[in-house]
Amino acid sequence: MLKQSLIIARKEIKDSVRDVRSVVSSLLYALMGPAVVGMVSMAIPRGAQGSKVLIGMMSVFTLVSAFVGGMNIAMDTVAGERERRSLLPLLLNPVRRLDFAIGKWLAISVFSLAGLAVNLLGFAALLGLPSLLITGIGILPLALLAAGLQLLISATCRALKETQTYLSMIVFLPMGLGMFLVFFPAAARGWCRFLPIAGQQIQLESIMSGVAIHLVQPIALGLLTSALAMLALLIAANRLQRDEIIFGD
Amino acid sequence: MIRVQELAKQFNGRPVVSGLSFDAEDGAITGLLGSNGAGKTTTLRMICGVLTPQSGSIAIDSAPASHDPLDRQRHVGALLDHIGLYARLTVRENLVYFGELRGMSPQTLNERIAHVAQALGLESILDRRTAGFSQGERMKTALARAILHAPQNLLLDEPTNGLDVPTVRSLRDLLRRLRDDGLCVVFSSHVLDEVRALCDKVVVISTGKLIAQGSPAELCAQTDTVSLEEAFVKLTC
Repeated sequence: MLKQSLIIARKEIKDSVRDVRSVVSSLLYALMGPAVVGMVSMAIPRGAQGSKVLIGMMSVFTLVSAFVGGMNIAMDTVAGERERRSLLPLLLNPVRRLDFAIGKWLAISVFSLAGLAVNLLGFAALLGLPSLLITGIGILPLALLAAGLQLLISATCRALKETQTYLSMIVFLPMGLGMFLVFFPAAARGWCRFLPIAGQQIQLESIMSGVAIHLVQPIALGLLTSALAMLALLIAANRLQRDEIIFGD
Repeated sequence: MIRVQELAKQFNGRPVVSGLSFDAEDGAITGLLGSNGAGKTTTLRMICGVLTPQSGSIAIDSAPASHDPLDRQRHVGALLDHIGLYARLTVRENLVYFGELRGMSPQTLNERIAHVAQALGLESILDRRTAGFSQGERMKTALARAILHAPQNLLLDEPTNGLDVPTVRSLRDLLRRLRDDGLCVVFSSHVLDEVRALCDKVVVISTGKLIAQGSPAELCAQTDTVSLEEAFVKLTC
C-alpha cells in the first residue's frame, strides 16, 4: 500500500533532518561545486576555452551532487537500521517489502533532489545563470536513479562500513563519466546522449553553452533513467525479501 | 493461539529447526526452553514472519495456516532479540510510527499509547528522545511497541536479558497480567528460574527438535526428577 510507503518516507525524512551534522555535511558538499568553480573561474583566462573547462567542471559537480545528497540517509536507512538493530522490529510489521523499499527510496530521493537543487541554486547565484534552474528539470530523474542505486547498495551490503565504501564508490560514476567526456568530447556524439549519467552531462553542457537540443533527447533520457531507477528499486525490494537481510555481519 | 506443525528451517544446508510441532494456548504462558543455538530464536522469527520456513505450517488463532507472513504479522506482537529504537525520535514518535504502519487511526493510537505508557510506567519519558535511554527504558519502550496494537499473541525472545531485578519483576508481572487477560504469550529463555516462575507450559527444544512438552511439574514427573533444572539436563544431555 502506498500509504505505508509514505509513512515510512515521512519518518525517514523527519529522522534524517534531525541529524543536523549530517544535513550540514551534505549541504556543504552540494555547495562545494559552486565554490570550487568560483575559485577556478578567477584563475583561468577568459575566452572560449576557459568557458568550456568551467562548463565541464560545473556539469560534473552538478551530477555528483545528485549522488551525494542522499548518501547519508541511504546509508542509514537499511544498513544503518540493521546495525542499530531496529530493522528487525520494523520488518515485524505487516508491510510488504516492496512498500518498505518504496518508502525508503522516496526519502532518499527527497535528499538527492535537495542536494541537486542546492547545487544548481549555488551555481545560479555564482554565475547568474537563470537557465541553470531550467536545466534542473532535465536531470531530475538522475536523483531518482542515484536514490535507487544507493538503496540497493544499502540493502545488499552486510555491514555499515561496507555500505559506506560502496556508496562513496558510486559517486565516482558521474565523476568518472563526466571527466571522460570533458577530456574526450568526441565521445559525446550518438548513443552517449541517451546513456544515463553521460546523457545528463552532455545535456547540461549543451544547455550551458547555449547549444539547442531537440526535446526528444531529454525526454528519452529521462524515461530511460527513470526505468533504471525503478529496476534498482525492484532489485532492492527483492534483497529485502531475503532472510539474510536481518543478519548482517 | 499459535499452532506450529512440522516446522523446519536450514541455514546454508545446516538444519536449525527440524520437524518442530507445538501448540501455545490463549490465556497461558508457553516457554520455549533450550540451550544456546537450540533454535528458539529462529522458531520465533518464523512465527513472526521475518524468516521463511523450509516446510511446515504456522496457524494463528482460528485462521487456517497461511504461508503469507503478513497474515501472521497482523495477529502477533513481538519483542525479539533486536530492540533497536530510533534515537532521534521520542518514545511517542517511535510508537506512533509503528502504530501508523499497522493502520491504527489517530484516536485509537492516542488511546493505546496512553494505555501502554501507563501499564509500563513510561509516562514520564513519553516525550523524550530515546537516545541515551537505560537498558530498562529501552526494553520498556520496545515492549510498548510490541503490545501497542493489542495483539492476541505476544512473542518474546529472552526478554529479561540485561535487565536489573526490579525491571525483571515488573516485566514478569506484566506478562502475568497479559496472560490473565487471555493473551497467548510465548517466550524463549534458557534461564530455568524464569521459566519455572512464569510458564504454564514448557516446550523443550534441543538442536532444533522437540524433546518434551508439558507443565514444569509434568516435565519433572516425566523425567522422575524434583527440579526443572534436573529435568532439563536429563532431557537434553
